[in-house]
Amino acid sequence: MVQTASREARGPLTQAFFDRIAAVAEGEKLKACIQCGICSGSCPLGFAMQYPPRRLIASLRAGVMEQVLQSNTPWLCVACYTCTARCPSAVGITDMLFPAMREALLMQGVGVPGELQTALENTFRHGNPLGEPPSKRADWIQEVDVPVTDLSADPREVDILWLVECYPAYHVRAKETVKALARTLHALGADFGVLGQEERCVGDSQRLVGENGLFEMLVEENGKTLDRFQFRQIIVTDPHAYNALKNEYPKYGVNYPVQHYTQYLASRLEELRPMLGELNHTITFHDPCYLGRRNGEYEAPRQLIQAIPGVTFVEMERNRENGLCCGGGGGGMWLDSFAYEYAKERLSEKRVREAARTGADVMAVCCPNDLLRFEDAVKVVGLEGKLVVKDIIELIDEARKG
Amino acid sequence: MVGATEQKRRIGVYICHCPTTVVDSADVDELREFASRLPSVVVARGCEAGCSERGQNVIKDDIRNLRLDRVVVAGCSPHTHESTFRRACRDAGLNPYLFQIANIGEQCSWAQRNGNGHKPKALLQAAVRRAYHLEPLQSREVPVNPNVLVIGGGIAGIQAALRLADSGHKVYLVEREPSIGGRMMQLDKVFPTLEDSSYILSPKMTAVACHPYIQLMTYSEVVDVAGRVGNFRLKVRRKPHYVDESKCTGCGVCVANCPLKRPSEFDLGLGKRKIIYTSFSQAVPNIPVIDRDRCLYFDRGTCRVCERLCEHRAIDFDQQERIEDIEVGAIIVATGYDLFDPSPMSRYGYKQLGNVLTSLEFERMCSATGPTGGAIRLNDGSAPESVAIIHCVGSRDRNYFDYCSRVCCMYALKYSLLTRERTNADVFQFYIDMHCCGKGSEEFYRHASERGSKFVRGEVAEVTDQAITAEERGKLTVVAEDTLLGRRIRIPVDMVILCPAMTPRRDTEEMARLLGLARGADGFFLERQPKVEPTATSSNGVFVVGCAQGPRDITDTIAQASAAAAEVLAMINGGKVEIEATSAAVDESLCSGCKVCLALCPYDAISFIEDKKACQISDVECKGCGVCVAGCPAGAISANQFTDKQILAEIEGLLADAKPPPLAV
Ligand SMILES: Cc1cc2nc3c(=O)[nH]c(=O)nc-3n(C[C@H](O)[C@H](O)[C@H](O)COP(=O)(O)OP(=O)(O)OC[C@H]3O[C@@H](n4cnc5c(N)ncnc54)[C@H](O)[C@@H]3O)c2cc1C
Ligand code: SF4
Ligand code: SF4
Repeated sequence: MVQTASREARGPLTQAFFDRIAAVAEGEKLKACIQCGICSGSCPLGFAMQYPPRRLIASLRAGVMEQVLQSNTPWLCVACYTCTARCPSAVGITDMLFPAMREALLMQGVGVPGELQTALENTFRHGNPLGEPPSKRADWIQEVDVPVTDLSADPREVDILWLVECYPAYHVRAKETVKALARTLHALGADFGVLGQEERCVGDSQRLVGENGLFEMLVEENGKTLDRFQFRQIIVTDPHAYNALKNEYPKYGVNYPVQHYTQYLASRLEELRPMLGELNHTITFHDPCYLGRRNGEYEAPRQLIQAIPGVTFVEMERNRENGLCCGGGGGGMWLDSFAYEYAKERLSEKRVREAARTGADVMAVCCPNDLLRFEDAVKVVGLEGKLVVKDIIELIDEARKG
Repeated sequence: MVGATEQKRRIGVYICHCPTTVVDSADVDELREFASRLPSVVVARGCEAGCSERGQNVIKDDIRNLRLDRVVVAGCSPHTHESTFRRACRDAGLNPYLFQIANIGEQCSWAQRNGNGHKPKALLQAAVRRAYHLEPLQSREVPVNPNVLVIGGGIAGIQAALRLADSGHKVYLVEREPSIGGRMMQLDKVFPTLEDSSYILSPKMTAVACHPYIQLMTYSEVVDVAGRVGNFRLKVRRKPHYVDESKCTGCGVCVANCPLKRPSEFDLGLGKRKIIYTSFSQAVPNIPVIDRDRCLYFDRGTCRVCERLCEHRAIDFDQQERIEDIEVGAIIVATGYDLFDPSPMSRYGYKQLGNVLTSLEFERMCSATGPTGGAIRLNDGSAPESVAIIHCVGSRDRNYFDYCSRVCCMYALKYSLLTRERTNADVFQFYIDMHCCGKGSEEFYRHASERGSKFVRGEVAEVTDQAITAEERGKLTVVAEDTLLGRRIRIPVDMVILCPAMTPRRDTEEMARLLGLARGADGFFLERQPKVEPTATSSNGVFVVGCAQGPRDITDTIAQASAAAAEVLAMINGGKVEIEATSAAVDESLCSGCKVCLALCPYDAISFIEDKKACQISDVECKGCGVCVAGCPAGAISANQFTDKQILAEIEGLLADAKPPPLAV
C-alpha cells in the first residue's frame, strides 16, 4: 500500500506531539535536518532505538509519527547531548525533540514506564524524585564536623548559596560528597549557606523527560525561594542543576550567577593548592555531559585533579566532547530497567570498562548520577578492587587531610 | 519647511509599483497622494517600474516639460538603480546629483514583512526634504593608469595576469610564497579530466616568468594602499631571499649541499626541505630562499656552505628587506583559500590517530613529486587494503562553516579512482549528498561508481582505534549510520582521508581592511553583486577572483579570472574613469589649523598649507567618507551631498509625522 504523508490521519498522540512542537520556540528548526545520520551514528543508545534520531526526524518531516511515538525510542534517550552537539544543522534533538515526544506521551498517558511515573510523582509531592520528606533535606548537616549555615533556619546574607540538589542531599553514598564539599568550603573560609528544607529539585531531568509543566512549577517555586535570600552567587553540586540555572531558568526570568562546584574551586585553586597533601593514584576522569559537552567546561575538573600532588592523570580514549554518557541523564536514572531491556548493557558498564582500560585505579567524577551509576557498574562487571569511583571533591578532601 | 526667503523648487516624485520592492509594504496610491501634498512637489506619479525604459522616459519628459529641478524615486536600493536614474536625469538636462532615492526596498519591504504603514511615508518625506537642499555637482574624470596589480599567484592570479599582459598591459604579480603556483601546484591529478595538475599549470607558470609585460614579485606582500580607482599607489614589501636574483642561475648546488632539513610547508610536513630551498622542483622563479630563522649562519655565524659552493656568488647574507612603490589603475585580488584544520573535530582523530590525513595531504602523497613519489602508503610503508573518505568535514556544518565547499565530492571521487588504480584497496565514500554538478561531473561520478567505490550515505560519527571485534584489531574503525539501510555500521579500514572545508585565508581580515573590501557571512571577500557583477567589489577598481571569493574548482576559477581581466581591460581601454563627485572641503575661514583631521583621514587626502595656516583636501584623494567632517572641532569641513542642511532636512522629514513614543512608566 502506498501511504502518502499528508493523508495519514493524525491520532491524538501525534496531534499532541505536533502541537507541542508548534508551541516551542524554534520548533520549526527541526525541519532543517539534512538527514546526514551523524546523530544516529553518534547516539550511544541509537543501536537499541527502533527510530534513531535521523529516522525519527525523517518520520517527523513526513508527518508520520504514530509508530514512532509508540516505539521504544522516546524513552531511550539519556539526553547525553552528543547528537545535538554534532548535528551540522543545529537541530535541537535533545532539548526539543525528545522532550516533545515524551510530553505527548505523558499527556496522553500512553506507555509511560512505571519507574518514571514514580519519580515524577515524587518530585511533584515532595520536591525530590526520591520521595524523601523535605524536612530531612538538611539532615546531613548533623553528620559533618564543620559548621554549615542552614538559611531556612537562620536567614542571613551569604556570599555563596549552595544548592545541594536531591541525590547528594539524601542518598547515603552521594551524601559523602556533600560533606567533603562542606569541609573544603569551610577550609577555604568561604561564606556559604544552604536552603535546607526550603530547597526543591531544580528539575532539569524532569524537563528533559517531558514533564514541562512540572519543570515550570519548580522554576516558579525555586524562583520565589531564591528571591527571598541574599547572596552573591550560586554554586551547585550537580551539573544538571548547573545547566538548568544557566540555560533554562533565565528564560523564565530567574537569572543568577551560577557555578558548578569544580569551577568555583578551580577559581580558588591557588588558595587550595597549599592545603593538598600527596595522593598516590592513577586517576582518569569522566566528563559529565552537562558540564562538558552541553556547557563546554572541560578544564576546571581536570585542573583540580592535576593539582593534587602524587597523582598521575590519564585520559580515556573518549574524553571531553566525545565522552561516553553514564546513561543517567534526561531521566535515565528513572528509566534504567527500561533501557536495559532493550540495550542489554548499561552505558555505565561500558564506561567503567573504558576507564579500567586506561590503567587508572581511580575513576574521578563530579556528577552525582555518575558516582552512583559507576559504582554499581564496577560491581556488575567485576572490577571491584581494581577500580574505585570517587567524586573529585572526595579526592580533594582526602588530599587535604593527607 | 520651505521658508519664505528660500527659493521655490520644482520636485518630481515617482513611486515604483514594483511588487516586491514597494507594493509589499506600502499602498502606492496612498503614497502618491501623500507625496503630491508635500511642499515643492509639482508632480507625483506612480509608475509600473521606474527603472524600465518607459519609466525613465516618463521622468525625462517631466523634467523637460514641467521644468523639474529635483527628482525623487521611491523604490529599490541605490546600489541597484541610483546610477540608472542619475543617467536619466542627465539625459534630460538635469544635473544627476539632483536626484534622490527613497529606499523603500531595503528599509521596508525586504527588511520587515508586515512593516508599519507609516515608514514608507516618512522615508519619502525625508527624501523630498533632502532633495530640496541637494546641490548640483560635477563628476570628475581622471585618466587611468594602465598598469595592473594582481595579488596572489595561484591559478587565478596567473590566469588574470597572463590575459592582461597578453593584451599589452604591464602587470605586477605579487605572491607571498617564494614561488607562484598556489594550491593547484600541490594537487596531483585534477578532476574531471584526470590530467596532471602540474602538466596544465607549469606552462602557464613559465609563461609568467618570461612574459615581458609581467613583473613577478614573489616572496612579497602588499603592505600599503593609497589612491583610488584609476590611480592606486601601493607599497610592496620584498622579503630578502639572501640570494641575488640577478646572479642566481637556479643550478641548485646550494640546496643539494645545505646540511640541515626541516618539514616542507609545500608537502604539508609530510616531506622535508633544506634550509636554503625552493618550494618545489618546478618553482617559478627558480631562485632559492634561505629560511633565516633556521639557518646556521644567521643563528651562530657558522656553516656558509652555500656561499662557498655558489659559483655565481649569488648568496648574499646581507640582503635587506625592501619596500617598493608601484602605481596601478586596477587591482585583482586572487589570494585563494586555506584548508580547515580538522583537529577541533576531535571525533575524527586527526593528529591523534595514525593514518588519518586531510585531502591536501593525500594529494601530496599521490603526487609524483611528493614525499612518497606518488605511492599511496600507510605510516609503516605498506599499502592500505581499505580506505575511508569522509566528506563535508566542517563544511555544511552550522558549528563550523555553513557553506558547501563545492569541490570535495568531486576530488573524493578522484581519490577513489587513484586509489583503485594504485592499490588493491576497497574505498568507502562516506557522503551526505553527492554534489557533482559541473560539466562532466555526473559522468565522472558514474565512472567512479562503476570502478567499485563503495558509497555509504551517512556522515561519520567517529573514527576510533578501539577494537571491539577481531576484525577491527589494528585498524581504524569508522562508525556511522548507513542512512539508506537505516543501520549503524562499523567499518574497519587502514586509512582515513578527511575532506575539510575550504576557508578564507587567515589574513583575509587584514587584506580586507587594506583594500577596503567587504566580507560575506562566509568570511570570503564579497563581490559587488553575485549575479551581474561577480568579480567587482565594493571598492571601485578592485576585483576579486578564484577561491578568494569562495570555494570553487579550477574550471570556474579560470573562467572568473579571465572575466575579471576583461573588466579591467574595459576600464583601461576607456582611458578615463569617472570618480564620485562626493568629496569633502575645508572652509579656510573657519579652520583653526588644529590638524585633527590629518590623523583621521584614512586616505591621506588632507594636507596642511603653511601659508594659509589651514588644511586643504585633495579632491582626487578624498573618497567622501566624512570622517573629517564629523571630527573637525571647528565645524570647518563639509561634505558635498552630505551637508548639515541636507541631513537635518532629511531627519526633519523622517520625524515630521512621527508620534512621540509612549512614555515609559
Ligand atoms: C584537496 C583539494 C583537491 C582539489 N582538487 C581539484 C581538482 O581535482 N580539480 C579542480 O578543478 N579543483 C580542485 N581543487 C580546487 C582548487 O585547488 C582551486 O580551485 C584552485 O586552487 C583555486 O586557485 P586560486 O588561485 O583561487 O587559489 P590558491 O591556489 O589558493 O592561490 C592563491 C595564491 O595567493 C597567494 N597569496 C595568498 N595570500 C596572499 C597575500 N596576502 N599576498 C600575496 N599572495 C598571497 C598564495 O600563496 C597562493 O599562491 C581542489 C582543492 C582541494 C582542497
Ligand atoms: S545530525 Fe542533525 S542534520 Fe544530521 S540527521 Fe541528525 S538531526 Fe538531521
Ligand atoms: S541526547 Fe544522547 S541519548 Fe539522546 S538521542 Fe541524542 S545521542 Fe542519543
